[in-house]
Amino acid sequence: MKHITKIYGNGVLANDDMNLELAESEILAVVGENGAGKSTLMKILYGLEHPTAGEIYIRGEKQVFKNPQDAMKSGIGMVQQNFMLLPPFTVAENIVYGNEPRKSRFLFDRKKAKAEVDELSERYGLGIDSNLVVEDCPVGLQQRCEILKVLYQNADIIIFDEPSAVLTPQEVDSLLDTLRNLAKAGKSIILITHKLNEVMAVSDRCIVMRGGKHIATVKTSETSTKELSAMMVGREIVDAKIPQATPGKTVLEVNDLVKTGEAGKPILKGCSLHVNEGEIVGIAGVSGNGQTELLHTIVGLMQADSGNIVLDGKEIGGLDVRSIRETGCAYVPEDRNTMGCALKATLSETMLMAHQYEEMFNHKGILKHKTAAERFTALLEQYDVKYSTLSQLSGELSGGNLQKLIVAREMSHHAKLLIVSEPTRGVDIGAMEFIHNQILKQRAEGGAILLVSSDLTELLKLSDRIYVMYDGFINGELKRAEAKPENVGILMMGGSADD
Amino acid sequence: MTKIKNAALHMFKVLWQPFLAIFLGLIVGAIVILIVGHNPITVYITMFQKSFFTLHYLLQSLTRSVPILVCSLAIVASWRAGYINLGVEGQMTVGSFVGTLVAVYMPGPTFVVIIAAVLCGMMAGAAYSLFAAFIYDKFNVSIVISTLMMNYIATYITTYFITFSLRDTSSVYAIQTKEIAMAMRLPRILPGKPFNLGFFIAIALVILLMFVVSKTKFGYESKMTGLNPVFAQYGGVKKTRVMYSTMALSGAIAACAGMLEIFGIKFRFVESMFTSTGYAWTGLMAALISGLHPIGAGFTSIFLAGMQVGGQNIQLSTGIPVQVATLIQSSIILFVSVQLFANWRKKSKLKAAADSKKAGDE
Ligand SMILES: Nc1ncnc2c1ncn2[C@@H]1O[C@H](COP(=O)(O)OP(=O)(O)OP(=O)(O)O)[C@@H](O)[C@H]1O
Ligand SMILES: [Mg+2]
Repeated sequence: MKHITKIYGNGVLANDDMNLELAESEILAVVGENGAGKSTLMKILYGLEHPTAGEIYIRGEKQVFKNPQDAMKSGIGMVQQNFMLLPPFTVAENIVYGNEPRKSRFLFDRKKAKAEVDELSERYGLGIDSNLVVEDCPVGLQQRCEILKVLYQNADIIIFDEPSAVLTPQEVDSLLDTLRNLAKAGKSIILITHKLNEVMAVSDRCIVMRGGKHIATVKTSETSTKELSAMMVGREIVDAKIPQATPGKTVLEVNDLVKTGEAGKPILKGCSLHVNEGEIVGIAGVSGNGQTELLHTIVGLMQADSGNIVLDGKEIGGLDVRSIRETGCAYVPEDRNTMGCALKATLSETMLMAHQYEEMFNHKGILKHKTAAERFTALLEQYDVKYSTLSQLSGELSGGNLQKLIVAREMSHHAKLLIVSEPTRGVDIGAMEFIHNQILKQRAEGGAILLVSSDLTELLKLSDRIYVMYDGFINGELKRAEAKPENVGILMMGGSADD
Repeated sequence: MTKIKNAALHMFKVLWQPFLAIFLGLIVGAIVILIVGHNPITVYITMFQKSFFTLHYLLQSLTRSVPILVCSLAIVASWRAGYINLGVEGQMTVGSFVGTLVAVYMPGPTFVVIIAAVLCGMMAGAAYSLFAAFIYDKFNVSIVISTLMMNYIATYITTYFITFSLRDTSSVYAIQTKEIAMAMRLPRILPGKPFNLGFFIAIALVILLMFVVSKTKFGYESKMTGLNPVFAQYGGVKKTRVMYSTMALSGAIAACAGMLEIFGIKFRFVESMFTSTGYAWTGLMAALISGLHPIGAGFTSIFLAGMQVGGQNIQLSTGIPVQVATLIQSSIILFVSVQLFANWRKKSKLKAAADSKKAGDE
């Protein structure tokens, strides 16, 4: 890619004279702060966006990609962050979708499809059972399914945009193995990530971007996480000292929550926990062990079958979302695109959510747009969100900036109970530090915080107390001093603390 | 200064799409006119003269636009929140029928009767559309289907009443109610022309809806529900409440559309009067073309009404069939749908397939 410049319709300069080269069998990492233009550059390479200026050459030949199909023909594939899979179909069916092997003109050759997929999965060491139905697969397997799909389309260059954001630590390890295998087999890989240890672990070279510009290209073997992070943010990141917590009275108390899902499958099997003022309580667990349902029950998006929930001395089980929020609860959801915002709403509309009934923004049903605009501008400034106007659409923000906006919105409630799920998913290291500090600040002000994160480092760093969830129940509770990756890990897998 | 510029920019954003579609539609129309053997330029000049550029015809177009415009507002109100109300025709029928009956039969001072008639009409329209919301809420009957079917029910029930008990027997042929009293009719603006106060009421409704949509909590919550119901629910929006209010609002507006036509032009309820004219469907087109924006829908409705009036008039003066005007209209719609379709295509085919599969499961 040579001299790529991209200016979006709203005048945002996302890429400024970017150059990028990729050799065969190479793993190239692209890093940079939120809104640096990484995703944009990759979308251009994959034909999803068109460059304002600049050219793309594949093996010395100039290419113009009108759409992803064109890019695929030239051997470029992209593993999307939001998986484009059809949940009710099997892995094999999903992978061949669009290029199905056929018996005759009209008949789908299921056997051949399976054979081809199995062969492919074997060749690249992906180890996936092609008979599984996608909706039963954990996220890690779904991602492998996406990778296989790209391989099935004969891609030589595979782009990964923040692939590890949604994975558990174990899944991340196997993803990194997969990347190595792919490179060994001659594929070229571009990896966008905010996790510098991943960069150090797999990449050969690393490109640093800032403000749409190319800042540096370094050999991974000749650099360190410290140097990379300094180049990314332009300053050094220091680990904040976390002061001792001084817990006060109980804010949230959950007793014996039971919830049965569809088809009688138990989801919560009697969960009890409590969170005090001035305390950060973490919930660890491999995702899919009931954490999301537990949070949804607390905030009123779901009703439990039995058990009770007391927030600030008031029974909130069975209340609706708004009443619970007004009792004193704010929530950063794990999935920013499906629950945290509406991608087609403007920034001010997105930020107004759950504030629209507050007196500050609402006078007898009439919204106070002016007050809102002033508040939101200040808030976005404080959280260092890169945006152009409050009337642009949420979907136009870069992933990390949207995340920061959602965190800002929920934090600004200063609710007695703040529930945060994956608060730093997709944000750069500078922003991660900032969000952590904000959470600590709310704690210092006496806020009770319930934190769910699949990032164990984050969880161990912030939590004063940790509950470990396994298979719908709480499999253990650890104080800050006791919680170590090893014993939390054992509890996460269903073991007991005495092992 | 910048404020004016911003406002202009905003208007442009709202209106460029319908304008482009209209332009392309006119080009296709021109080709057809050529094929039929006329000169498109003269035909278009006549058509525009006889729809917008002479006072007489302009007033004719504006008068015609009233029910279309108000119907388009009813569509905008409901579709923005994601509730596909296809029953505007039925709601306007039921609402204006009830309104007319009150106006004809209720005793009392004129002023009181008018207020009562309008309120009862709006309540009837709202109740009729609320029924669809209710059976969706309780029995999960799709709103698209129930509202569509209720159009037929509305037509047949009103026809039944005016054929038998409520018929004006002074006319042997026409199946219709009695006329409403002189004093209750909407005043005309110029002597001798049917153009009446109704048009200004319609414009007021545009402004009112614009206000509701952009300034109120209700408008905000219903827009968010339409854009992403999960997000809205997460933010404490009560989904069923938004649905009921939205559908009631839409039905009440639809009733106004019918009543403006009756109190301003027809003065009585005639059998199938809104089925044959297709106001609700033209209004639906206007709303869709303008991307469900109240002001855009207002302009587009006036334009489509003008096309209908102009079309009728070129038939009278040039002999080109009125179908050509309809054809131009249809091509405009087609061009807009192509635009919408292209946007939709951008999202992966796969995702669409996955969604439809999911929707099918529910
Ligand atoms: N569709 C769009 N329309 C307008 N501006 C956009 C659009 N997509 C991205 N941008 C802007 O372009 C800039 C670069 O965005 P991009 O998504 O490439 O960042 P990124 O490096 O991937 O960031 P992140 O780490 O947060 O994902 C941002 O300022 C963003 O607001
Ligand atoms: Mg990105």
